Amino acid sequence: MTIKNGNEVKPRFYISTCLLFVIVVVLAGRLRAGEQEDEFSQGEKLFALRVQPIFALKCAACHGDDPQELGGEFDMRNRVSVLRGGESFGEEVLISGKGKESFLYRVVAHLEDGYEMPPKLADRLTEEETWSIRDWITAGAPWPDDKRILKIQKKYAEGEQVQTSKALSDDWQNRRYESEKLWAYRPLSVENVPSGSHPIDWFLDRKLAAVGIQAAGDAPPIAMVRRMSFGLTGLPPTADEVARFTKAYNNDPADAVNDFADNLMASPHYGEQFGQHWLDVTRYADSAGFANDFARPNAWRYRDYVVESFNNDKRFDQFVREQIAGDEMDDQNPEYLIATGFLRMGPWEHTGMSVFKETRQYWLDDVTDSVGQTFLGHAMQCAKCHDHKFDPVPTRDYYSMMAVFSTTQFADRNAKFLRSESRENFKQADDWVSKKLGYYNDQLKVIGDRIKAQKKNEKGEIKVGDDGLAPGDLSSQARMKKAVQRHSLEKLRTKPIAHAVYTGKTVKRNNFNKRIMMFKQPWEQGVLDPDVIFTGGSVYSHGEAVVPGALSAAESLGQMEAAAFPTAAQAKRRLALANWIANPKNPLTARVIVNRVWAWHFGKGIAGNPNNFGGTGKPPTHPALLDYLASRFVEDGWSIKKLNRLIVSSKAYRRSSTHSVPQSVNDRDPKNQLYATFGARRLSAEEIRDAMLFVSGELNSDVGGVPARPNINLDVAFQPRALMGGTASVYEPDPTPQQRNRRTLYAEKLRGLRDPFLETFNQPVPDDSCELRENSTIAPQALTLFNAEEVHARALAFAARLLKESQDDEEVIQMAFRDAMGRSATKDEVQVCTAAWLARTKDEAKLHPKPTEFKAKISRTVKSEKTGQLYTFVEHLPAYENYVPDLQRCDVDARTRGLSHVCLVLFNSNEFAYLD
Amino acid sequence: MTKNLIAKLSRREALYGLGAGLGSIALSSFLQAEENRATSLRYSGNTQIFKATTNATAKTKAKRCIFLMMEGGPSHLDTFDPKPELTKRHLEKFKRSGEQESAMSSGDRYFVKSPFDFIKAGKCGADMSTAWSHLATVADDLCFYRGCQVESVNHPTACYQVNTGNRFGGDPAVGAWVNYGLGSENKNLPGFVVLPRDAYPQGGAGNWSNGFLPASFQGTPLRPTGSPVLDLNSPDWMNRQSARENLDLLAKLNQKHLASREGRSDLEARVKSYELAYRMQVEVPGVIDMEGENQTTLESYGIGKPETDAFGRKCLLARRLVEKGVRFVQAYAGNWDSHDYIAKAHGSLIRSVDQPIAALIKDLKQRGLLEDTLVVWCGEFGRTPDNGMRGGGQSYGRDHNAKAMSMWFAGGGTKAGHTVGATNEIGSEAVECVHHIRDVHVTILHLLGLDDNKLTYYHAGRHKQLSQFGGEVITELLA
Repeated sequence: MTIKNGNEVKPRFYISTCLLFVIVVVLAGRLRAGEQEDEFSQGEKLFALRVQPIFALKCAACHGDDPQELGGEFDMRNRVSVLRGGESFGEEVLISGKGKESFLYRVVAHLEDGYEMPPKLADRLTEEETWSIRDWITAGAPWPDDKRILKIQKKYAEGEQVQTSKALSDDWQNRRYESEKLWAYRPLSVENVPSGSHPIDWFLDRKLAAVGIQAAGDAPPIAMVRRMSFGLTGLPPTADEVARFTKAYNNDPADAVNDFADNLMASPHYGEQFGQHWLDVTRYADSAGFANDFARPNAWRYRDYVVESFNNDKRFDQFVREQIAGDEMDDQNPEYLIATGFLRMGPWEHTGMSVFKETRQYWLDDVTDSVGQTFLGHAMQCAKCHDHKFDPVPTRDYYSMMAVFSTTQFADRNAKFLRSESRENFKQADDWVSKKLGYYNDQLKVIGDRIKAQKKNEKGEIKVGDDGLAPGDLSSQARMKKAVQRHSLEKLRTKPIAHAVYTGKTVKRNNFNKRIMMFKQPWEQGVLDPDVIFTGGSVYSHGEAVVPGALSAAESLGQMEAAAFPTAAQAKRRLALANWIANPKNPLTARVIVNRVWAWHFGKGIAGNPNNFGGTGKPPTHPALLDYLASRFVEDGWSIKKLNRLIVSSKAYRRSSTHSVPQSVNDRDPKNQLYATFGARRLSAEEIRDAMLFVSGELNSDVGGVPARPNINLDVAFQPRALMGGTASVYEPDPTPQQRNRRTLYAEKLRGLRDPFLETFNQPVPDDSCELRENSTIAPQALTLFNAEEVHARALAFAARLLKESQDDEEVIQMAFRDAMGRSATKDEVQVCTAAWLARTKDEAKLHPKPTEFKAKISRTVKSEKTGQLYTFVEHLPAYENYVPDLQRCDVDARTRGLSHVCLVLFNSNEFAYLD
Repeated sequence: MTKNLIAKLSRREALYGLGAGLGSIALSSFLQAEENRATSLRYSGNTQIFKATTNATAKTKAKRCIFLMMEGGPSHLDTFDPKPELTKRHLEKFKRSGEQESAMSSGDRYFVKSPFDFIKAGKCGADMSTAWSHLATVADDLCFYRGCQVESVNHPTACYQVNTGNRFGGDPAVGAWVNYGLGSENKNLPGFVVLPRDAYPQGGAGNWSNGFLPASFQGTPLRPTGSPVLDLNSPDWMNRQSARENLDLLAKLNQKHLASREGRSDLEARVKSYELAYRMQVEVPGVIDMEGENQTTLESYGIGKPETDAFGRKCLLARRLVEKGVRFVQAYAGNWDSHDYIAKAHGSLIRSVDQPIAALIKDLKQRGLLEDTLVVWCGEFGRTPDNGMRGGGQSYGRDHNAKAMSMWFAGGGTKAGHTVGATNEIGSEAVECVHHIRDVHVTILHLLGLDDNKLTYYHAGRHKQLSQFGGEVITELLA
C-alpha cells in the first residue's frame, strides 16, 4: 500500500480513509472488469461485500436482532421491511435509485442533526462505508438472498481470512482482515543490508531520501554525552566524562559513542535505567492496592532481579521463561522463584467482603492480559467476553491462555538470598518495624482494657445508645489492629522469601493479611479451576471446555509449528507457554521487545503502541527495519546490550535534535516519524529527582536492597488516608540521608500513597502496564519544582558542595553550569547569576534560619466510623527519634544560601530538564 | 507551614514580574488544557462534541455540577427509604450461604429495624428520617432516586465505579469527562476541583483521576489543611523580592536556551507553565478566603459550629468555585461505613452535613444558580437490612449492599419534588426503575448537555466513553 511509507499527517484517520479508498477503487475496478461475463450486478456486489456486513455489525443490534424491540420501529432484516421505514422517516428511508436523498444514507453520513446513526460515536461508519450505502441505494438497492450473497462473497471478497482455534460464531470465523493489519503475526521478512552500511541508517535513510528530506547533522558533544548518559543509566554525566567524551567525539564521533556506550553499559546503573523501563511495563509496586493496600514485603527482590538481569545481559528468551515459569523450570533456584513475582505484580486484594471465586478470577484475567501485553503486544482482555472485534483473537484463545494459569497459585516461598542481592539496611528496616509495632501494641493494650471494662457494664441484648466509651475508642482499636496487621507483614521484608507462585489445586482462602504459605502437597486438597469459556465473561457461566494454549493466529500466520500444550492437570503449563513465547519462530516476541528497546532510546516505537501490535495499534513506520532488528536480535543471542550497541552506533541516534532548515522537515514529516532529527525529550520523574541528588552530591548510588523511604511532601506524608477499618500510619522517611537519598527506583512504591513529586512529573500509576511515559507539561510541575522543600533542600546541598570546592565567584558559577548542564557558562550567564547570587546573599544575611524540629510523635484528627465524630489520637514516629536531617539552612552561611537560589533556578531551567 | 507569596505580592506586581521576564508570550492560564482538549477532540474526529458543547448552553439547563460524595456507603434504610417491614421483623434470624456469598454476608444474620423515625417532608411528602431537620425544608427541591445499583461491595472498587464507571480504577472520573466535554469557564482555575475530607478515601487520588484523558483534566484537590494546593507557595522564609527575581533569572536562562531552539513548542509550553502556576497562586487564595462572605451566610452553612464547620466550609467553597466558573466540584463527607453503632454514627454524620447541604441548596436557589447547577448526593452503595451482630451483639449496624441505595439530585433540570424508583419491602434490592450506575452517569452527562455516546476519547485502540459500553438516560429523573 503506497500510503504506508510514513507520509501520513493524521495517522489513524488518514490511513484508514486511504486504505478504504483504495479498496473501494480496486473493488470498483474489479466490478467493471467482470461486468461482461458476470451474473451479478454491481449493486448486488456492493450489497454482499460492503453493505450487508455493515448492517450486520453496526445496525442489527437495534434494528432486527430482536424483532420485539425495534429501535424507532425500524426493521432492517429484509428489503421489504427497510422500504417500509420506521417512525422517523417512513418511506424516505430508502428511495430506490436516490442514494443521496435517502435518509438511510443521510443518518449514517451524519447529515441529519439529532439522528446520527449508529448512536455511539465509537461505531461511526467511515466515509467510504457511507458511500457504499449511498451507491447501493442509487443502484436500486438490490437485496440478493443468502445463497447468492455467499456466492458473491466467495468470488470477490477482499481481505484475508485467518485460521484461528475456533470462534464463538461462524461469521467471526469466516471474517476477513485487511492484510496490512496482520503484519505482526507474519514471519519476519528480512532484507539484506548492503555490506558496509549501518543497517539502521540504511533503512531510515532510504525513506528520508524517498521524500527528499536531508537528515540533520551530528549532535554537538554536550547533547550527545547527556543523551547517552541519561539514556543508558538515567543519570547525568560527570564533568570528567563530559571532558573525555567531548575530546574523543571531536576526534571520531563513532568511536567515541561506541566506547562511551560500553562504559555506560558496564556500570550497574545501566540495569537500573533499563530495569525501570521494564518495571513500567510490568507494574512493579511494593503494595497490593485497594482497601488495605497491604505491603508486598518481598516484591523488591523482583525489582532487583530485573536490574541484575539487565546488567548481566541475560538472554531475553531466558528472561521470558524465568518470569513466566521460573518455578516450573527449577523450584530450587531462588532466582527463578523471585522472577515469577512478575505474575503477581498487578493490584490485587481479597477481603471479607469479596467472594473468593471472583477475586481469584480477577487475578486470572489480570495475568492473562498482562502476559499478553508484556510479551506479545496484545491486550487480551478485549477477547474475554466476545471474539476480538478487530484482531484474529477468538475468545477461545483467551480462555486457552487463561487455562495455562488455572493451576497457578500464590505463595510467598522460601528463597535463599543470592550473592548479588543487597542486604544493606536490613537491621534498620527491622528496627523501625519493631518499634512501630511496639508502640501500637502498647497503645492497643491500654485501649483494649478500657473497652473491656466498659463493655462489661453494658447489659441487655441490643443497645443502640451510649456505651460510655470515648468517641474514638472503638475506632482507635480497629485502626491499631489493622496497623499491627499491616506492619507485621513488613517484618517479612528482610526474610529469605520470594513473592512467587507454585503449581497446584486452588484452595479457597479467606485471609491474605499474612504470609501466604505453600501447601506441602499441592495436589491433595482444593479444586481444579474449570478450563472453560466463561460465557459473557461471567465466572458463574460455564461454556465449552478449552485446553491450554496461546494465540492461534500467531501459529497459523506466523508459520510456527503448532505447539501442543500439555493438558494434564499436573503438567507444567506455564513452562509450555513460556517456551511458546520464547520460541525464535514466534513472530511477536522479538518484534515486541525490539520495538520497546527502540522506543526507550528514541522516545517512540517503530510501531507506535508497544503494548498493542494488533490492528488497532499504530502500524510500524519502518516495518522492514523492525523485522531486521528482530531477526538480528535473535541471531545475536537475544542480547539487549548488543541491540543497544547497534542502535547507538547508528547515525540516526547521533543526530542533532534541531535541523538547520526546520521547515523542510516540518513540511514533509511533521511528526518526525522519519527520524530526520533526534527527538528531544524531558527527563522522567525519576531522572529529575536522581539528577538533582547527583549534582548536589547527596546521591547514595548503592544498587538494590529493601525499599528506601525518601522525604516526600510533608502535607502528603501526614495526610490521613482511609483503609478498610481504619486510617493508615503516617508516612515516615528513613532516618538517615544515606538511606533516604537513594535512586528513585528504590523508593518504596505504595499504590495507595504516591509521591506527589513523581506523580506530577508523570510517573505512571502501577495499576496498568505503561508502554511509554507520558510527558505532558502542567502547571503543578512548576509549583513543585519551584516551591517544594525537597527541591530547595537539593539546591542548598548543591550550593554548599560548590562552595566547598571553590570560593571564587565566577568559578563557582562555572562549576554549577558544568554539573547541572554539562557545559560552561557564557559571560552573560556568569554575570546575571553572580548578580543574582549577590542580591540573594544580601537578603539572606537578614534572615536567621533555625533548625527544623522533628517530632517523634504527632496527634492526628479523623472522623470515627463508629460514632461519626472527630477524634484525636497520638501516633509514634520512630523514624524521627534518631532522625538525621539533610543539610539545613541553619547549617550554612548567607553566601551559601544566596547561591542556593541560583541553584534552584538551574534545577528549574529547561536546559536541566530537557535532553537535546 | 508556608506563608502566602501572593499576600505579599499584589496581583499587578505578580503579573508584572512575570510579564517582564516572559516577553511577548500571551498570558492565559489554563490555555494548555483548552489546547489539549481541542486537539484531542479534533484528533479523535470528534467534531460533534464541539457542536454539542456550543449547543449545550442553549439547549440544556445544567452548566456545572456539585457532587456531594458520601464516602463509606450511607444507609438508604436510615436516611431516605423507610421500611416498616423491618420493624416487624426486627431480630428475625436467618442464614445465608453459597459460593457467591462473601465472608461478610454469610453465617447467622438478623434483620434490624432502623433506629430513626421518619417524616414526610415538604409538599411532595418526601421520606426522610427526622435527623434531616434542615434538609426537610428544601425537600421540594430534591429528586430522590432509589433504583441505582453498583457491582461491588468493597469500598475502593465501588468508589471507583461511582466516580469513574470502572471498578478497578485507572479510568477518568466523571468530573474529568465533563471538563473534557465542556471545557473550562475560568482560565485560571482547574475545571475539576475536589474537596476531600480529613482522610483521603479508600483508593486515594484514583477517585479523581484523569485516567487516559490528558493530565490537565485531572481533579485538583483543595486540601482542608495545610497548603490548599500542594506547593502552591514558596517556603515561608522566602521573601517576595527573592521569589520574583528568581523567576526573572529563570526566564532569562530559558529565553537564551529557547533562542537556539526555534519552533520547540514543548519548551515554550514549559515556560508558559510557570506563568500558569503563578496565576493559580493569585486566584486560588482569593477563592478559598471566605472573608468576603457575610456572617449570616457563614452561620447558615453552620460554619463556626464544631459539628458542621468542616462540611459547611466545603459546601460554601463549592458554591464559590462554581460561581467562578469551575465546572465540576466534588465534596467528600464520611465515613458512613456504619457496620455497628449506626444510630450514633449515622446520627452524627447526618448532623454534620444536614445544615450545610440545606444551606447550599437555598443559597444556590437564591442566587439563581440552582437552575443551571446540578447537585448530586450519593454514596458508593447502600446498606443491608440485616446484620451479623458484630461486637458481641451489643450495638448494631448494617453491612454493604450493592443492590440498593438512595441518592438525590437537585437543580440542573432534574424533577424536583419527586421520588423515582423503589426498593423491595425490606429494602434489600431495588425493584422499580432499576438502573446500573452507568445510566446515572449517562444521565448526569445528558443534563449537562453531553451525549455519552458522542463524548469519546480514542485510547488503546478504542473510542472510550464514560459508560464503557453505552447506557441510557434515566428519563424519569428529568424535569
